[in-house]
Amino acid sequence: MGARCTTCGAALELPCACTACGALQPLAAERDPWAELGFQPRIDMDEAALRKRLLSASRLVHPDFHGADESMRALAEAHSARLNRAHAVLADEARRADALVGLLGGPDESSSREMPREFLLEVLEWNEALEEARAARAWSGRIALLRDELAARRGAELAAVRGLLDPAPAHGDARLQHVRSRLNAVRYLDRALGELEALRLSATRA
Amino acid sequence: MGYIELNVLNQPVAPRQQGALGIDLGTTHSLAAIWKDGRPQVLRVEGESALVPSVVHFPREGAPVVGQAAREQAIAAPRDTLFSIKRFMGRGLKDVAQELATLPYAATETATGLIQLEVHGRKYTPEQLSALVLRKVHETASRALGETAPTRVVVTVPAYFDDTQRQATRDAARLAGLEVLRIVNEPTAASLAYGLDQRDKGAVVVYDLGGGTFDVTVLSIEEGVFRVLSTAGDTHLGGDDFDAALVALARAEIAAAHGAEVLEDAGCQQALRLACERCKIELSSAPRAEIHLVLPERRVAWRREVSREEFEALVAPLVERTMAACRQALSDAKLPPERIDEVVLVGGSSRIPVVRARVEAFFGRKPHTELNPDEVVALGAAVQAHILVGGKRDVLLLDVTPLSLGVETMGGAVSKIIQRNSTVPCSATEGFTTYADDQTGIDFHIVQGERELASDCRSLGRFKLRGIPPMPAGMAKVGVRFHIDADGVLTVTAKEERSGASASIDVQPMHGLTDAEVEGMLASSFEHAKDDFEARRAADLATEIGTMARAVEKNLNAARAGLDKESLLDLEEALARAKAAALGADARAMQKARDEFERASLPLAALLMNNVAQKALMGRSLDEV
Repeated sequence: MGARCTTCGAALELPCACTACGALQPLAAERDPWAELGFQPRIDMDEAALRKRLLSASRLVHPDFHGADESMRALAEAHSARLNRAHAVLADEARRADALVGLLGGPDESSSREMPREFLLEVLEWNEALEEARAARAWSGRIALLRDELAARRGAELAAVRGLLDPAPAHGDARLQHVRSRLNAVRYLDRALGELEALRLSATRA
Repeated sequence: MGYIELNVLNQPVAPRQQGALGIDLGTTHSLAAIWKDGRPQVLRVEGESALVPSVVHFPREGAPVVGQAAREQAIAAPRDTLFSIKRFMGRGLKDVAQELATLPYAATETATGLIQLEVHGRKYTPEQLSALVLRKVHETASRALGETAPTRVVVTVPAYFDDTQRQATRDAARLAGLEVLRIVNEPTAASLAYGLDQRDKGAVVVYDLGGGTFDVTVLSIEEGVFRVLSTAGDTHLGGDDFDAALVALARAEIAAAHGAEVLEDAGCQQALRLACERCKIELSSAPRAEIHLVLPERRVAWRREVSREEFEALVAPLVERTMAACRQALSDAKLPPERIDEVVLVGGSSRIPVVRARVEAFFGRKPHTELNPDEVVALGAAVQAHILVGGKRDVLLLDVTPLSLGVETMGGAVSKIIQRNSTVPCSATEGFTTYADDQTGIDFHIVQGERELASDCRSLGRFKLRGIPPMPAGMAKVGVRFHIDADGVLTVTAKEERSGASASIDVQPMHGLTDAEVEGMLASSFEHAKDDFEARRAADLATEIGTMARAVEKNLNAARAGLDKESLLDLEEALARAKAAALGADARAMQKARDEFERASLPLAALLMNNVAQKALMGRSLDEV
């Protein structure tokens, strides 16, 4: 990536700290989550490799190891916060796809609320089922089936998103609009699944 | 003089502060531990319990009494003896209505919504009361170490504590004259104490049922990094509630036997609470136990046998509440119970057999109980303290923020800025703008919690942005950065992005203690609480005399032949007088005895110095002397 450590001059693998001498680097403008963790932007990521990178980078920048000096501690806090945010985005496939669409100049959620047409018909049915579940306030076999259906659909939408983003389309490619609408569908499914999970937890409580 | 010269003989009497203490500031009791000889160790004075009851008693005159001595005043002076202070930390009156209903305290609220407890017409914030407990813990640690304990500390809090409760804990430590290196979550600390980093990789659940709070934390351990995946809990659920279940049972029956009037008495209430606590503890090791309430002066003699089955039925709803939190934590961590490799039990109430059985059944494995559940949190805090002073770098803790952070929107709903279970440190930036021309200020309301409406969440404060340059409506763009640090404490900074005016924008918190208030309390605690100050001084002097006495006693026999008879007699007398004075509480008498002791030890010091010099001349090292 060209940048060099401000302390020892070694080539930097991460923007936050030097893997050669351990020195914290000055806080530059925040980059995309892949760059913050030393990866190339791509939709397909190895979960274990990502986790290991977070752990090894945290060992370099965590404020626990930079507590002696107030300004170093503040710098370590800022770097750690960036690492954690970058990891949170990359560890979640939907958020990762969302970030990649943004990076490739595609539409963001607020500019396009479109969903796939066939999906909208299903949404009407699901909304009805969800309304029923809300009213029942109890867990049942039917609700479990609904959950499984939504979860399977979520998996299918994400698989389609993966197909559209691997290999990554060119900057501003029209395919990004399709990815956007599928991610909007995933967003709907996540909200519905979250609501059902809350219902399951409160039903077990009672 | 003599004091310093004895130091030449490799006897560190006035140690430089290198270590740091781990302190568990609990609802019912508190204690300290330190890293020593390659492992964390609880600091206890021989012949005493390591646990300092978190109780403060205010006598009508004189210094406040803290710890065991305070606890003993509970029945005789119930209104002047404050228990469960931790439940009030960072809370307002309406947050603790449930607590206040069962405790005989007079409580008021400050202008900023903080609770104050009133004793003998004087008001105390929970921070001030906790500071007294922390000082007592520090003093006990010093006695155990035989020297002044480090003032740098790691203090633990329940994982589910919100921002104001964490800030209050930090302020309490500052008021106690301690430097807080880190606020650590109790369950996370416990996992450190168990040395689970020795295992290669795995998922761990820590179930922490304390005196007043319940936490459950799911962690993953990999390559020495403890990464918290999720935490859930209830800051209003603990051993106190188990006592309360027995109290409720007893009250109904006592009212029937002796009339309800007897229960109105605060002393009787405290006595009953303590009797129920005793019964609960006995039931952990026996199938049946009794609640005894004997108050001769009130002509009450009541006893009631409780079987373990009866007790378990009474507390079943409480145990179920803890299991609901376990399900929530697993759900957030996206792990089913069978994927958990280890379960650790923490907190005194985890000794209750029905709790253990329920946890074992839920996770399908026998939980760890090897370490004393009352001590494990302090031990873990000592491990973290050791890491923070640079002693250990192979272990790293990555913890999370337990509650989502949000801003109230126009309609009273919450817009979430940071999700719960985000790894800390974490930060997020939110944009705000003006709605009127030339508006120079923006107010916003920050809340913590999972509910949809701001009014159902915990208010962290209404912040005011001031000093925005005058512009047409909607033109100003203020970026507000929310940063939750490694302690889980929030800081807010703002910057007007269009004009770049960052320095002039002022963020004013409207909740909790301001720095000035903490400074003010620090000053007044020394101005007005002279007795308190004296007590601290006496404790320090006693520690110092103890250290000097050990140094002299160690060298006296060897040096006996070299000292003239008069000096020897003088020294032995001064030693005895100083030791006697150290047992008392009179700081002035102690100071005098200490000074005389120091003077009397001068000839011994001179003699030893001489020997050192001679041996050194003969080519021998100091260590051999």
